[in-house]
Amino acid sequence: MSGITWHYVLKFIITGDAAVGKSSLLVRLTDQRFLTNPDPTLGVEFGSKLIEIPEEGKIVKLQCWDTAGTESFRSITRSYYRGAAGCLLVYDVTSRASFTNARSWLADVREHADPHLTCILVGNKVDLCEAEDGTSNGRREVSTAEGELWAKEDDLLFVEASAKSGVNVEIAFEQASRDILDKIKRGVFDDDRSPGVKLSKPANSNLNIDQGSTRPTCCS
Amino acid sequence: MDFLSQTYIALRGPTGAPQTASETITKLSDRLSPGTLLADRRAAVLSLKGLTRDWKEDVGENALPGLLEVLQNDAEIDPDIGKAALETLNTLCEVDENTKDLALRHTEYVLAKEQPTHTLFALLGNSNFYIRYATIQLLTTLLQNRRQVVQGYFLKAPSGASSVIAVLEDKREIIQNESIALIQSLISQSPDIQKVLAFEGAFEKLFHTVTQENGVEGGIVSQDALKCVDGLLRFNTSNQSYFRETTLPSSLCSLLQFPPNLQIQDPVPQEFSLQFWDQQKLINVSLVIGIMGMLISSKGNSAPDSSVFVRCFTELALSSNAPTPLKTQALRLLPDNLTFPLSGVILTPYMPVPETNGEEWDRLEPASALDVLVELAVHGEYNGLYRDKRTTESLELRSAAATVFENFVNKEEIRQAIVQGMAPSEATNIPSISPLLYALCLPPSSPINFANVTSTHFATLLFAQLLSSSSRSKTLARSIKPHTAVPTTPAQGQFFVPADGPLREGAEVEDEDDDDSPQSLLHLFNENLSLAFLSRSRMESNDQEAREWDKLIIAYLCLLSQWLWTDPKAVREFLDTGGLGVLVEPINQTTDAESLIPGLCAFLLGICYEFNRQPGEITRATIHPIINRLGVDMLVGQMNRLREDDRFKAVGPTSIVLPYPTAISLRSGTTAPSETEGEIWFDWAFVDFWKSNQYTIQRGLGTDPNAMSPSAGASAESAMLISSLRDVIRSQAQELEEMQQKIGEASAWETKLSELQAQVSQMEARLVQTDEKIKNLRRSKRTCWYCWMRSAPSERRIRRGLGRLGLMFLRMRGMKKRMKKRKKIRTIYHCLSWSMC
Repeated sequence: MSGITWHYVLKFIITGDAAVGKSSLLVRLTDQRFLTNPDPTLGVEFGSKLIEIPEEGKIVKLQCWDTAGTESFRSITRSYYRGAAGCLLVYDVTSRASFTNARSWLADVREHADPHLTCILVGNKVDLCEAEDGTSNGRREVSTAEGELWAKEDDLLFVEASAKSGVNVEIAFEQASRDILDKIKRGVFDDDRSPGVKLSKPANSNLNIDQGSTRPTCCS
Repeated sequence: MDFLSQTYIALRGPTGAPQTASETITKLSDRLSPGTLLADRRAAVLSLKGLTRDWKEDVGENALPGLLEVLQNDAEIDPDIGKAALETLNTLCEVDENTKDLALRHTEYVLAKEQPTHTLFALLGNSNFYIRYATIQLLTTLLQNRRQVVQGYFLKAPSGASSVIAVLEDKREIIQNESIALIQSLISQSPDIQKVLAFEGAFEKLFHTVTQENGVEGGIVSQDALKCVDGLLRFNTSNQSYFRETTLPSSLCSLLQFPPNLQIQDPVPQEFSLQFWDQQKLINVSLVIGIMGMLISSKGNSAPDSSVFVRCFTELALSSNAPTPLKTQALRLLPDNLTFPLSGVILTPYMPVPETNGEEWDRLEPASALDVLVELAVHGEYNGLYRDKRTTESLELRSAAATVFENFVNKEEIRQAIVQGMAPSEATNIPSISPLLYALCLPPSSPINFANVTSTHFATLLFAQLLSSSSRSKTLARSIKPHTAVPTTPAQGQFFVPADGPLREGAEVEDEDDDDSPQSLLHLFNENLSLAFLSRSRMESNDQEAREWDKLIIAYLCLLSQWLWTDPKAVREFLDTGGLGVLVEPINQTTDAESLIPGLCAFLLGICYEFNRQPGEITRATIHPIINRLGVDMLVGQMNRLREDDRFKAVGPTSIVLPYPTAISLRSGTTAPSETEGEIWFDWAFVDFWKSNQYTIQRGLGTDPNAMSPSAGASAESAMLISSLRDVIRSQAQELEEMQQKIGEASAWETKLSELQAQVSQMEARLVQTDEKIKNLRRSKRTCWYCWMRSAPSERRIRRGLGRLGLMFLRMRGMKKRMKKRKKIRTIYHCLSWSMC
């Protein structure tokens, strides 16, 4: 009803091990705040945000589904992969296990999702590495180089971020969106084929939103 | 031929002896194994399908494993066998009256492993009509029998969600309709499935269906699709926030023909206000506004689309020609903390032209939403066009309007502004008589006018809401003097009054006791109340009419109780106008039939006693013996009796309309009202008020007249709060006093200072004067001297003397120099002057 306009709606999913900070990343993106003590996500939660990609001159609406990392919800989470245009694969830089497990999450994504899905590897919680007495490596268990290397091997985008300090969070989503827009430009997606991308005015829908307003408001 | 002969042999059996059904079924079941030719399997399934109806148990026992196997292996490839197998399974699992346990047993077998269900979801993707259709049916049956198991499998199915959504898109109507039914049971009580389907675009698809079906004008399909949308959103905040992100909320408005970007000052289009309604459309629209209400209430009402929804509801309820239940629903869905500027929105209400059967409508003068809301509560729908019929529906609508009013006047300043508007303004001296005040002051007429009683009753409810727990409003209300206004209101222009209404009659009643000083509202209530008691006592014969008088009396008593509570000045006024006598009589004359009125009178008497704290003629000491004579126990008993009354107990926060008891009307033998007729006695605000204060009053009745009331209904906590606040006030007063004292002192000093200053300036002036005088003196001295010097005779004398002296000196000493001589002359002159003086 308010006249917010956007050019594309992109569906994102956020996935990765439990407690790597997926929900915190989403809340940081949508509300610019940090959850100090979040409960584990049950099932899936939704959040959305408008971002601008200036060089394309496009406004993009991100619809993000934040999935549960706990194993028991894994089958539910899988239902979401197919419809997504982008995926944030999150691990915790202070936990080697979460980095190792990210491979199995990626395998899941590759198996169920659209082949053209854009996936970005996000190393979260970098704030914990710099916090301790000036040494840059503090509690870090996964080095930046290592993450970068794996991302390159598997053709993923890569960024290290912190939901707590907010560093690189928006950039992660922007990078992924930019990549998706680029794919759209190259014609990788047909309009109907990728369920995760939608133009602002769906052509196949008969629901004419402006119907009410364009009708002459005669009330004689 | 091959097929026929084989089947024949199978049925006939090897020996040619007649076969039992179970033998046949066993044989046919054996043929379902993958080893058999496809054609044979198909034949077997078809035969089993035919046998299922009559031999359900046998077929289930023998053929289920084979059928599931066929489903998995062959259904995808061979539509015929697939269809037959699905239909057979459906018949086996379908619950009917006689074979419930059996069907559930079969269902459990089918659902024992997840594979068959996964196969079913995969088969949904099959484009063959019969396969799709039969799969949907089987899934629906399974969901009906064991919903949670199927839901669990669905979440794990590799392509469950997307195939379900794909079915929604099917162009074939039957499949589309069946798929909506399937989704309805699939999403039931499973937030996870609701979210998955929302993610897969279920909202868009369902709205697409609704639009295709001609929106709210559509039939059962529209209804089911809207129900699905409702099911996906209700109790699911994640989906609600997703839904708001889409463009669909504005489509909801569009479905109702309401422009989604209507500005607050714009009028609504006529095609929204005037529509054709039928039963199906009512159901559909009810679903749509239900969804809208959910989006408002789950969000607070800060967002822009919320205010559009609120506007839409307001218009629907107050100005449109929508059916009454929809209007009630719309009012109930308005948020409790209503921040919508009701008084600032101008509506154009419509009214049916009489005897056109709802086909022609008149447009009324634009009015503010608040005015229309009050009108609706006080007079009923369409300006009171149908006010004589008191159907449950219309009373529900009016009570919903009263609740909205209550929420709206929750803010103290709004209350005061409204009450202020009723009080006579000094500038014009013509008290504006609002419809509310008018209905409030309608004098009781005999024979009683049922519609007027209801109007007055609603008016007392609204007015009580304006006064409750607001001492400032109560003070303002005491200054309302409606006397001059009531008789002079011709009532033609401002609001609708039926031509044969009791107005003129009422005016005469007013004229009779023609005292020129305008009556206060309390005085008027008191008079009306005693008039009503009088009329009521004459009505013993007519139950129906007596019931109406009771309602009117109760309405006044409820309002007075809420007004006099914590307002000693109002108590004083009430007692001074003879309230005590009015109350005591009904307490004394208890009849068995009526339990409400004595209880209320006892309660009000208790309030009068408790809050009679203003000096006056009738003091607590005057009331105390009356209470004692009536008996405290008796009064308490009366109050408890009221609490036990069904008419009091049945009132809830949202339901105050009770069914009109038909037994009474039957007994009285008068016109039997229709079954849907309703009535109201109390509103929730009063019931709540009563429940929280009865005990205080009860206790207050027993206290000594001289005892100060320490607890005006105060709990220990509030008492503590009050005492602490008192301390604060006391210390502040003390400080204030000190300060004032200091200020007094300071001002004293100041006056002294100014006095002193005046003195100083006086002194200065005096000083200047003296200076002047001194100067003058000096000057005069000098002038004297010169005068003297120059005065001719003396000069001559002096000169003469000098000459003489000079001669003497010249002679005596023989002076040499002139200068010296002069000096000497001066000294001599001094001597001379001395001698001369």
